[in-house]
Amino acid sequence: MITAWTTLLPPAIILSSLLPGLVIFSLREDQVKLRIGLNLFAVILKLCLVGVMLWGVNQGLEFRFAIGFLPGGGLVLQGDATSLQFVTLSSVLWLATTVYAIGYLEDSPLRSRFFGYFSLCVSATVGLALAGNLVTFLLFYELLTLATFPLVVHRGTKKALHAGRVYLAYTLGGGALLMMGIALLHSITGSPEFQAGGYLGPLLDAHKPSLILAFALMISGLGVKAALIPLHGWLPLAMVAPAPVSALLHAVAVVKAGAFGIVRVVYDVYGVEQVQTLGLATPLLALAAATILYGSFKALQQQELKKRLAYSTISQVSYITLGVALMGPIAAVGALAHLVHQGLMKVTLFYCAGNFAETLGIHRINEMNGVGKRMPLTMAAFTLSALGMIGVPPTAGFVSKWYLGLGALEVGQDWVLLVLVLSGLLNAAYFLPLIYRGWFAEPPTQWPEEHALGNGRPGLGETHWMLLAPVLFTTLLALLAGVLAGSELSPLAWSQLIINRQFGL
Amino acid sequence: MSAALLSLLIPLLTALILLLVRVRAGSLVILANATSLGCAALALHQVVINGAQQLNLGGWETPLGIRFELGPLTALLLVFTALIHLLVAIYAQRSRHSQTRDTDFWPLSCLLHASLGALWLSRDLFNWYVTLELLGLVAVAMVILSGPRSHVPALRYLLLSLAASLCYLLGVALLYGQYGVLDIRALAGVTSNDQVTRLALLLLTLGLMIKAALWPLHQWLPAAHAAAPTAVSALLSALVVKGPLFILWMLWDNVAPEELARQAGIFFAVAGIAALVSGGLAALRTPWIKVLVAYSTVAQLGYALLALGLLLYWQDATMSIALWLFVIAHGLAKVSMFLAAGEIQATLGSRHVSALKGASQTMPIAMFAFAVAGGSLIGLPPSGGFVAKWVLLQPLFLEPARWPWALGVLLGTLASAGYVFRVVAIAFDRADPNPPDYDPDVSAQWLAMLPALIVWAMALISEPLIEWFQEVGL
Repeated sequence: MITAWTTLLPPAIILSSLLPGLVIFSLREDQVKLRIGLNLFAVILKLCLVGVMLWGVNQGLEFRFAIGFLPGGGLVLQGDATSLQFVTLSSVLWLATTVYAIGYLEDSPLRSRFFGYFSLCVSATVGLALAGNLVTFLLFYELLTLATFPLVVHRGTKKALHAGRVYLAYTLGGGALLMMGIALLHSITGSPEFQAGGYLGPLLDAHKPSLILAFALMISGLGVKAALIPLHGWLPLAMVAPAPVSALLHAVAVVKAGAFGIVRVVYDVYGVEQVQTLGLATPLLALAAATILYGSFKALQQQELKKRLAYSTISQVSYITLGVALMGPIAAVGALAHLVHQGLMKVTLFYCAGNFAETLGIHRINEMNGVGKRMPLTMAAFTLSALGMIGVPPTAGFVSKWYLGLGALEVGQDWVLLVLVLSGLLNAAYFLPLIYRGWFAEPPTQWPEEHALGNGRPGLGETHWMLLAPVLFTTLLALLAGVLAGSELSPLAWSQLIINRQFGL
Repeated sequence: MSAALLSLLIPLLTALILLLVRVRAGSLVILANATSLGCAALALHQVVINGAQQLNLGGWETPLGIRFELGPLTALLLVFTALIHLLVAIYAQRSRHSQTRDTDFWPLSCLLHASLGALWLSRDLFNWYVTLELLGLVAVAMVILSGPRSHVPALRYLLLSLAASLCYLLGVALLYGQYGVLDIRALAGVTSNDQVTRLALLLLTLGLMIKAALWPLHQWLPAAHAAAPTAVSALLSALVVKGPLFILWMLWDNVAPEELARQAGIFFAVAGIAALVSGGLAALRTPWIKVLVAYSTVAQLGYALLALGLLLYWQDATMSIALWLFVIAHGLAKVSMFLAAGEIQATLGSRHVSALKGASQTMPIAMFAFAVAGGSLIGLPPSGGFVAKWVLLQPLFLEPARWPWALGVLLGTLASAGYVFRVVAIAFDRADPNPPDYDPDVSAQWLAMLPALIVWAMALISEPLIEWFQEVGL
């Protein structure tokens, strides 16, 4: 029997990073070239496969792969518009982060283990994006936890282990709650495939308490990874991981897995109408708004660069939840676009923080004085992304905030505007001083810990080229996503497409 | 049926040959196990095609004769037993740390295999008594193989096991006196809820719970399982405690009057949750690697006990499927975990959990095996443990009144995640790694990994398996 290639493409996208990852585990430390070659081969292969799928979905082809697993719910992988947005984001950022990580970890120990788990992590993220029903989603959600733990504790220090234990306690607890929620839904109706508008509509009257409990369980399970308060405690601690891991955790893999899960549950399992009928939208909205403000307040208090970025992530990711919880089409577009925008901007910020730390030993905010004179390109990228986070036009961040604001007005939740404005002000309050310090303060006579990466002169040689190139690449993408938001290829346009299907527009 | 009998007789004959000729050839046992596995698989295949089969030994009908029955579950358990024996035997032969090369392990493990096979096939209270005695004695003899250090726990195990046998025998006698039959099917129709029956069931249950180390009668297990040689620990945890559990399940599901079964169900279910929590907490606290793994067995048996309790309480047959999926998933995962733990502690030269520092580097494959097996114990998808938990959870969510039981499952999940990752997190501690005493043995580590991979591969057959069980019953 010949299986159609459209069936095999979704698993192939997962295997394109999974299999090289497993091979990388078995490599010796000194097989540097082979490891780098495998890494890059896997990345490029995955990008090509994703490209084919994007083309196919545009042509109206259906990509679906299913095998039996549990009665009532098999393992289903499928490429729809929503999953493709996340898959594309993770694949592109994986490319950038792989290059970055190769440069970052040059000559450090245990690289085979690192890159092995790194590939597993991306495989799990992509699998989660392609998951076609809740059971499959759960599977990859848990695999993601397992694959990221070794990366968080990679340094093997006491601090890293503590962070790792906290991370596990939160994520495994969240995973258990999510499993309970999904099992509860499964007992009612099995786990059919995700469908726009949800599949729980006919069950609403007969199973009201079950559906409410299942929603609460699933959102708390997903909220751990999406870092909704009060489940965010692991995230600032996990900052101890190496910079590429933080970048990946914060921009793509972990927090986005949570946010993406919330998108799936609200849109493709429950459906907007059912969530509103059950009265679940308002609590979710309040939780998201509270997280946005709380994250921003905490970020303001941090004196360490990476910690400040971590709290900023808590706040920024909740914009996605906020947009989803507003239950209107315009806000939903903003939420989905923000999924991509935040990813691009946040990954850049973490790369920059990593570059400062690796090149000059800058970890704290007061050490950033005048860094723009020494590393102008990195600082410029940092500035652009920070402005994007604040929401200055015409950056990508502005676009998503604009849509969120319009969406809030559309559904009559005007107070959300206040949250957006307040959070924007707070974002400015914690990012602008960094930008000021970087460009206008006097540089110190000596940097905390300068390493000879690159040629040591400002410009293209200001740090190792493998550390600089990804920064410039993602900055460019973030800029394009903002400036060309009106074009057909932008994340915004794609989000519009998804939402049109969702709301039947 | 003849294939099933062969799967039982081959290890028995091998044991006799080894004892008579006084050789301790591991390769012969491996061969016997592999053949037995083949026969068991053939028997399973026949059951799938033709349905359950009966055999009256010597041609005598019940109640005079003894009846063997080969149903779906029995066939599956025969395959499971042979598979575990094969995996453990290969490890025991191959690893230089198994402590069992050229010892009496080989004939004893064959006897264990044969008595378990007989237990799965029997449907007669007295025949079960014989197999239980055999099982207990062989198990104690195997614990002693690891030398004087194990004598105290082994003696304790022996005494408790004998006391349990007496309880069981007394219960059998009472039932025989009351009803005059011992065959489970003959008993099923006639039992009434009177004093004698209740007393008999109490005694039978007490004996079986001690032997199966079910909470709160589990105290002997951690010391005995931890003191045994690594390969023996694996067999004990994966198989031996499951034998009495099988009888307990048969007894309560078939013989006990329904009203009594409902009352006992509550007790079993609560004991199951208590086992999950207390076993999990003990595993979180103990400083010894193998004791941790042994306490995990106590905890995991709690799932089986919970499933048994709810099966009786609600008279819901899907719980039986959950129960036996748990048993099989736990057996495979636990073999992997014990072999990995034994290999690690022998190579690193310490029994302490804290000695595992840096083991993710020094013994990556064994640690990975431990983590993968642990993933199934926690119930992470798509492992066998997850499938079992899923089947258990489905009926729990049917009505809001049942939801509190799900909390027990949640607690069990969190507790097992706690003790598995306690070990894994220490293994990632690279600040002060513990250097190995010996060169790590890569192939032995892979042998420890193999059962864990099989338990995750259960996902591939879980759907047809569950549907088959639902269709034909166990």
